[in-house]
Amino acid sequence: MSILVFLEHHDGEIQKGSLGVLAKAASLGDAHAVIVGGGVGALAAEAGKYGAVKVHVADDASLDPPLPQPRVDVLAKLAGDYDAVFFANSVLAADVAAGLAARLDAGLNWDLVDVTGDFTGKRPALQDSVLVDVGWKSTPRLALFRAGSFDAAPTGGGEPETTQAAVELEEHSRAAKIVDQQLEEASGPSIEDADVIVAGGRGLGAPENFTLAEELARALGGAVGATRAVVDAGWYPYSAQIGQTGKTVSPKLYVALGISGAIQHKVGMQSSNVIVAINKDPNAPIFEFSDLGVVGDVHEVVPKLTELVKQRKS
Amino acid sequence: MIRASDFPPPFAASEFVGEPTDPADERIEVGVLVVGGGPAGLACAIRLGQLLAEHPDVAERMGDVPVALLEKGKQPGSHLLSGAVVNPRALRKLGYRIEDLPSYGPVHDEAVYVLTRRNALRIPPPPTMRNHGNVVFSLSRLGRRLAEDAEEGGVTILPETVGEKLLVQHGRVVGVRTGDKGRGREGEPLGNYEPGADIVAKVTVLAEGTQGHLTGVALDHFGLRGDEPQVWELGVKEVWKVPRPLGRVVHTMGWPLRTAARYREFGGSFVYPMGDDMLTIGMVVGLDYRDVELSAHDLLQELKTHPKIRKLLAGGERVAWGAKTIPSGGWHSLPTRLHAPGLLLCGDGVGLVNIARLKGVHYAIESGRLAAESAFASLQRGATPATALGAYDDAIRSGFIGRDLYEVRDMRQVFGRGFFVGGALASAMTVSKGRLAIGKMRAEPDAEQPLLRSAGRADRYPAPDGTLTFDKLSSVFLSGNKTRDDQPNHIRVERRVPREVADLWINMCPAQVYELGTEGGDGTVTVQLAPSNCVQCGAITAKGGRLTPPEGGSGPEYTST
Repeated sequence: MSILVFLEHHDGEIQKGSLGVLAKAASLGDAHAVIVGGGVGALAAEAGKYGAVKVHVADDASLDPPLPQPRVDVLAKLAGDYDAVFFANSVLAADVAAGLAARLDAGLNWDLVDVTGDFTGKRPALQDSVLVDVGWKSTPRLALFRAGSFDAAPTGGGEPETTQAAVELEEHSRAAKIVDQQLEEASGPSIEDADVIVAGGRGLGAPENFTLAEELARALGGAVGATRAVVDAGWYPYSAQIGQTGKTVSPKLYVALGISGAIQHKVGMQSSNVIVAINKDPNAPIFEFSDLGVVGDVHEVVPKLTELVKQRKS
Repeated sequence: MIRASDFPPPFAASEFVGEPTDPADERIEVGVLVVGGGPAGLACAIRLGQLLAEHPDVAERMGDVPVALLEKGKQPGSHLLSGAVVNPRALRKLGYRIEDLPSYGPVHDEAVYVLTRRNALRIPPPPTMRNHGNVVFSLSRLGRRLAEDAEEGGVTILPETVGEKLLVQHGRVVGVRTGDKGRGREGEPLGNYEPGADIVAKVTVLAEGTQGHLTGVALDHFGLRGDEPQVWELGVKEVWKVPRPLGRVVHTMGWPLRTAARYREFGGSFVYPMGDDMLTIGMVVGLDYRDVELSAHDLLQELKTHPKIRKLLAGGERVAWGAKTIPSGGWHSLPTRLHAPGLLLCGDGVGLVNIARLKGVHYAIESGRLAAESAFASLQRGATPATALGAYDDAIRSGFIGRDLYEVRDMRQVFGRGFFVGGALASAMTVSKGRLAIGKMRAEPDAEQPLLRSAGRADRYPAPDGTLTFDKLSSVFLSGNKTRDDQPNHIRVERRVPREVADLWINMCPAQVYELGTEGGDGTVTVQLAPSNCVQCGAITAKGGRLTPPEGGSGPEYTST
């Protein structure tokens, strides 16, 4: 069984989600990877650590802008040799997967959270209350996995075989140009990618107290999240909102500062590995689903905690 | 003396009235435009479909879309909520056999109780509250079914579409402009921005339900407000899955409401069976109450802790929640006319509710049917539109709707104010009465009631335990509401008010839209809003603010309420 995994990269680093999917593919069979971009040759070795035995590298300046169609061109030439092509969901990967499906007239299952060795995909349905088994009727089987479905754990693989993939762009693939790219202001990892999230709620008391969350996040190497209440109040940008109408996250560690734990927030973070809550209200619902609860004033507890983390690290 | 009405919202009806702005060739032209996919609007659409099928010549003249219906929810039914024990009469007139509809069967048995904190005194159901022959429905479910039938009858339903602005040209309603989609918090267009469209129609029927946005705009624009101001009740209800069938319709009054006249806490509760394994329980309270700590949501939680009620829910699970206002002014609060040039007004939007009998669904359906008849008559060759639409008023007033409402028009006067005063048992009903001082025609709008704060009202509400009792945010979650947060605020209220007014709104709102902001130093506070929690119940419009429509598709997604 052979699986090709599309590796997405930004700023010289392969996205964690892609590596997770690669590690999963390696556990199922022969995992090969494809990296497309400008000056990306050096990334192949990294893919080896996550189980790729072979890496196709399409390295060309014309592939530098993160546009989907040129990537479809590259993948379309490779996909036919594989039983399946896996993607970790992102805006770009979803575009590429959809484009590839159309180009090859292949079947695409999306929003999967798992797949078995006999290519049965698992897709959550009905607001994630059930898992549906899905399959493919033809090859290559295209699969787009939900963010955070698999741990990006190194598999202990060695140096992969590297081949140069052909770069022959279709006429229409040259039509779109990236005019400008802007980074949303944020320090540290984005909340979807972060292993550690420190989230602040109304209990912080005032917008300026978000520095408590930011400092702790920096000490832990994590990202800062926020509840809807504080985003509504204008204390923190919408891009950091976690919950029913914000982002859904599942970091290894989730630290909730002054968050009561309303169900609207809970559904966005309940699958975090370890949940730590600091809240002065002992009756706050968040204590019902946190692994460690601290009843106390965030203004007292958090600075000390940040200090301890810094000491431990240094 | 502080009144919410002293702090009016930044709102003017004139903002929502105007001429079409899209170029003539870009307007969407339809025959009859119905705004609102509730019982009134759907009945109207269904009847129009029937009439057009019988008269293909008229249908032909009405273009590609003879009948269009706007629904602001995700789908018809998403915003429907009612008790609902329905008088089946209007559905039959529309051509239905009740057996063919998704109901929970007829009422076989009923009981009325007066509650005190620990006890329940059963009293004989007063004449107005006998429900024999009536049928229990989930209005949301019924709406979905009626919508299917309407579509089958050739009606074009546009879900997730709000009617935002009334299009008026030369004094005549010519259609509706739909709301924009994809605007950000400050109104700025986002990536998925989609401007609204002018939908022009030969006749526009507003069937928006309680606190209808365009209905309110039309009543003001055409000067149609009635002799008496409209007043409302707020109902909050839950659907429970239960291990034992309820078997009968239950109404209660008294506790947890307080009977002293100065509080003006008039209302009651209902528990209706929904088949063998579900029931619905609701609390209704008149919005002319005065205590700023009154919360209908939490009164319902308190009600459920009564031994009599707790028993009914034991071992059960809450599966749905929702809230809505009910117009209760009755006959005297009806608009002076139910039509204007090019326009017909139906259902709860104009207050066609018989609060003594707790019934309005069948009036909504009947008014929709009658509106369809008049709209159709106005489209006949040689018809005089004004006369044809005017006939709608006569049909409402001389038909069973008018007769019923007229009969109970002075109900409040007869029985006076206060729950146990003269003849109250005979007149007992679960929702408010006695709005009038005896012998004097009332009445102030709900927002003009002077506010008071009684000691400990809020302390009596039970702490949510997550099994029997719940907090507001859990309730909003259960309503299915997952409204996009980064859209413009649709709730107009004065943001800087005395603490009493802020507390009134904070406690009143069953969906936790209002929160206390910062102190202004001059005795005022700011009011913080979380508009995406809003389930569009309409209470804020009754109590000194103004609900306008959010982006289409926002709000709750009711399925069994």
